[in-house]
Amino acid sequence: MSFNIFKINEDLKEFMPPEIVDLEEKATWGNPKRGVMDLPYSKELLEEHSLCAGCPESAAFRYILASLPNPEETIIVNSTGCTSLVFPHIALHTVHSLFGNQNAIASGIKRVLEWRFPDKVKDVIVLAGDGATVDIGLDCTLQSFFRQEKITTICFDNEVYANTGGQESGLTVKGHVFKMAPKGKQWDKVPIWQIAIDSGCHYVARLTVSSPKKVEKVIKQAIYVAREVGPTYVHLYTPCILEIGLNSDDGLEEMRRTDKERFKFFEYMTDEAKEVIQRKKEEGLI
Amino acid sequence: MYYVAQVIRDECTKYNCKQCTLFCPEPNTLMYTDETHHAYVLTERCKGCALCVYVCSNLLKRDSIEMVYAENRDVAGVR
Ligand SMILES: Cc1ncc(C[n+]2csc(CCOP(=O)(O)OP(=O)(O)O)c2C)c(N)n1
Ligand code: SF4
Ligand code: SF4
Ligand code: SF4
Ligand SMILES: [Mg+2]
Repeated sequence: MSFNIFKINEDLKEFMPPEIVDLEEKATWGNPKRGVMDLPYSKELLEEHSLCAGCPESAAFRYILASLPNPEETIIVNSTGCTSLVFPHIALHTVHSLFGNQNAIASGIKRVLEWRFPDKVKDVIVLAGDGATVDIGLDCTLQSFFRQEKITTICFDNEVYANTGGQESGLTVKGHVFKMAPKGKQWDKVPIWQIAIDSGCHYVARLTVSSPKKVEKVIKQAIYVAREVGPTYVHLYTPCILEIGLNSDDGLEEMRRTDKERFKFFEYMTDEAKEVIQRKKEEGLI
Repeated sequence: MYYVAQVIRDECTKYNCKQCTLFCPEPNTLMYTDETHHAYVLTERCKGCALCVYVCSNLLKRDSIEMVYAENRDVAGVR
């Protein structure tokens, strides 16, 4: 995959859909300093999709895709869930794995790419829901951490199995009632960010997506550290407004509220990660 | 019949803002032009969530974007 894949034959340009032409002419490629401040002007690497109106996951996708330092050489692995409704509309190389297998697939892809293209920088990123990351895929998630795979794992925590209509997940808060969890959850929310630290991640961050610039910084740091050091983990609170009964314009307020409590910004990095982040800051890339 | 967002251009140009363009959940839906200094909505992409109104009116107190019936919108998306 390279930027050249989006170059359109001049003779055919007049027949191409405008969105495809925009991808060549107005998307930000080949610039590691790209970021969320491009959003008001540029063509995004994302097209119209079917997530609910006002869904914070949609905003998270915009910020993450705008922040990738190396989109033309990035492979994103995803799992089933609301997130997977967006993947067919992403203009990058994406792989839809079997539910729960995402970190195993990403580990394999990263290893093969390192072997096949030793001179190229290839970023492999996992992007999956809380059910995929912490319940059904927990084995693969943790194994990729234990084995020091050089991938970035991003969890979209909406605290529920949203795509299947509202079952509780390991990341649901204790006591919470959902349509298909009528008695309320009996156990505590799994502190996966802490488990990620204990399992060998070199950079871990937990936040909501209420601040686009903060998401950009965290994503860049996680990707740069994964490239050079080892596994990184980013935990994003993207509330499912539908399943918690909020209106379409309430998601941001919900995240701003939890910014002060449950999802207060939290960041961890090892000394090796610190060195990479410091260097990238000096290079003006973060 | 449904609502879409529409920027009140004369209000929005008073600020050098762009905030709503970052918080709209939909890609390439709420954009900004430096030529005439205001945000604008690509109406056919707007899902009518009204988050932009929350950002502009509730958070920033700028009241420069509103929800209108899709049929009644200004065709250029601005007015
Ligand atoms: C192997 C397998 N098991 C179960 C499912 C059914 N399934 C589809 S989406 C989903 C829940 C997804 O929850 P989560 O990962 O939290 O993502 P969300 O929809 O909340 O974004 C489940 C259980 C499946 N598709 N494949
Ligand atoms: S069901 Fe919830 S997580 Fe899924 S698109 Fe709708 S609001 Fe977003
Ligand atoms: S938030 Fe309001 S003032 Fe700011 S760019 Fe949007 S419409 Fe204009
Ligand atoms: S109503 Fe929602 S989708 Fe439409 S422009 Fe505003 S924030 Fe974007
Ligand atoms: Mg979920």
